[in-house]
Amino acid sequence: MQNDTERQELRRSIKEAAASQDAGAAVNHARILLTSSSKPVDVMFCASAFTSLSDALTSQLHAKQLKTYVVRSVTVEPILPFLTTEAVLSNYVLNLNVGGYGSYVDELLNPQSPLAKFNPNLVFILLDLEDVAGRLPNLCADGIGAAVDAEIEESVTRIAQLLRNFRSTNSARILFQGCVIPDYSSLGDVGEANLPHSLTNAVYLLNHKLAAVCRTISDCVFFNVDQLAARYGRANWRDDRMFLASRLSVSSAFFGAYAGGLVRSFSSLFRPPRKVLCTDLDNTLWGGVLGEEGPEGIATGSAFPGNCYLEYQRYLKQLSSRGILLAIVSKNNDADVREAFQLRAADLELSLDNFVATKISWNEKATSIRELAEELSLGLDSFVFVDDNPVECEAIRQQLPEVAVIAASVEEPWKLVELLSSQPFFDAAVVTDDDVNRLNEYKAQAQRAELANSAGNRDEFLASLEIVCTFLSALDAPLARSVQLLAKTNQFNLTTRRHSTAEVEEFAAAVGGQAVAVRVRDRFGDAGVVGLALARTKGDTCSIDSLLLSCRVIGRGIETALLAHLGANALRAGATRLVGEFIPTKKNAPCADFYHDHGFVKDVSANESSPDSVFYQLDLTTAAPKSPRWLTLEGNESNEFSASAAVAS
Amino acid sequence: MNRMSSQQVPQSLRDILADVLEISPEEVTPELGVGTIDNWDSFRHLQAILAIEGEYGVQFDPSRIAELTTVSLIQAELVAKGAKL
Repeated sequence: MQNDTERQELRRSIKEAAASQDAGAAVNHARILLTSSSKPVDVMFCASAFTSLSDALTSQLHAKQLKTYVVRSVTVEPILPFLTTEAVLSNYVLNLNVGGYGSYVDELLNPQSPLAKFNPNLVFILLDLEDVAGRLPNLCADGIGAAVDAEIEESVTRIAQLLRNFRSTNSARILFQGCVIPDYSSLGDVGEANLPHSLTNAVYLLNHKLAAVCRTISDCVFFNVDQLAARYGRANWRDDRMFLASRLSVSSAFFGAYAGGLVRSFSSLFRPPRKVLCTDLDNTLWGGVLGEEGPEGIATGSAFPGNCYLEYQRYLKQLSSRGILLAIVSKNNDADVREAFQLRAADLELSLDNFVATKISWNEKATSIRELAEELSLGLDSFVFVDDNPVECEAIRQQLPEVAVIAASVEEPWKLVELLSSQPFFDAAVVTDDDVNRLNEYKAQAQRAELANSAGNRDEFLASLEIVCTFLSALDAPLARSVQLLAKTNQFNLTTRRHSTAEVEEFAAAVGGQAVAVRVRDRFGDAGVVGLALARTKGDTCSIDSLLLSCRVIGRGIETALLAHLGANALRAGATRLVGEFIPTKKNAPCADFYHDHGFVKDVSANESSPDSVFYQLDLTTAAPKSPRWLTLEGNESNEFSASAAVAS
Repeated sequence: MNRMSSQQVPQSLRDILADVLEISPEEVTPELGVGTIDNWDSFRHLQAILAIEGEYGVQFDPSRIAELTTVSLIQAELVAKGAKL
């Protein structure tokens, strides 16, 4: 705990930063202040400063502005400053609007409601158990009540209808909060634990079913507030005094934790998880220094403290099983490390095969991470770096600010797993098959690079890959994957529009609309769904709204095949002109010449409604793009069908 | 006059109310209260009460909270609760 002089000093710095509109300084000082101060007024002080900085946060730190509407049946107002502050610390600026206590049904269902008129990007739905399933406590009172299951079904059906109806008219992202399991009931702990229809069991089941409903609603995340309550202690989570007097469902001691939980949860709707974890070896993956203690001397295995490291290795392996890539970045002799992995295999949870790449040398770690980023075609903002050495950590923070750094503690190795899991880097509400297969895909990429060196000319090389492109509707890609691509793809993305699920569905359903995903496999493996295009034909013109390709398959002609496919569909839908659009960003330079290279002519007439866009056009009747001959194409039928259906209607 | 009277409010209480109400500590006088400035509405009142409870480790009786409408009333209640101001 800092002393009061330091605290006042930090507050002064925040005030000055706010006065001079220096968003970076304000956030940095606030982070330090709030890490050590537990005073609620300091959070309110920061919230006030951040509110006066909202434009600066966006322009200087690229904080994401979110118009956020809170649908609620409980009091949230005292929590709002905490929400504002937690959001800014995660680089969001929330423009908050709170609905009425009793009007949540109307707000969600009525297209003229204040919620609908506010046109939010994000909606929180925060209801109390009383509102979701108010009869449960009484029905569960005897613990064997037969009506409990029916009541749960009815409640879940009602919520599902609310969410579906809302979704049918509104594309805002949704955070739906579950219910906290009450800490006590008239059955007592023994009855709660043993009786089949106790309230504890009923609310647990209710949450489980509500989460399942949320999975069926696009762009909707279930926020399991009970998990948070359990973590901090259900006995203290709610202050009955303030709940009964003011309908405040969280005790003021946990406003910060609650707001942090909300932010972390909705973040998964806006930000893709990081993709690579780079771990140091000595005193991080295992205890001790390999170069000094030798392979038999390092600590790993079932006995303490080696089991602390084993726990960390297990955690990494679990991350790996859902597609987070692991890499070693260590200053060591390569041969020593290989020997250690061999000799101590029985005491290690990970083998070298679990790593997508290893950088074991005496080079600067920043250099190694940069190389990794290049080899894997991933941005540095996809990387997390774990190291026990504070100097290495600081070097990465300074040289590669995009990389998230975790400082491992040599003295307290048991804390490493908790440290990792307390960070949101790898949070994902959805995991697709493509994520799970990612390690193999990236390993295949390394093999391809090897073959590229041996093959003679480019066409021959590409033909030798035996690439097959399968075109399918983005709805079947599956849809979650298509939306994930829209959210994540930066380099080969012509317009970088982060469309929501609902918007993709609109393209697929509209007359003359196209939402085409492309799946790619070759002799080394299946890369899964790696590209997406959205277009709409009106009259004689087909306009390409979005066209993007995962950077790991760029340069194999797949982008050309995708364009050719769009063109062919457009012709069939009656178009004679293809219009492409390019919106330059910091990252998408690799595709700046895409339309030019495919014979499009730049449309020099300025478009006032989209001043950042560069438009191109192509005459489809004379210059329709053709797919490269080294690609095998599949799955045209279903798209032809939808295109001809569009003509007919 | 204001300056004189803001000094009658203990500094810790003055600072809390200044943060919650987004005003300067000098403006926190004993007579300041719900409705005397725009910022002090019923939700800020709840915020202020919660922050004060946290700071001094006391709990107010909910039925009294709505009656603690001025700085001096809050101060008196804190003294009655034995809080160290």
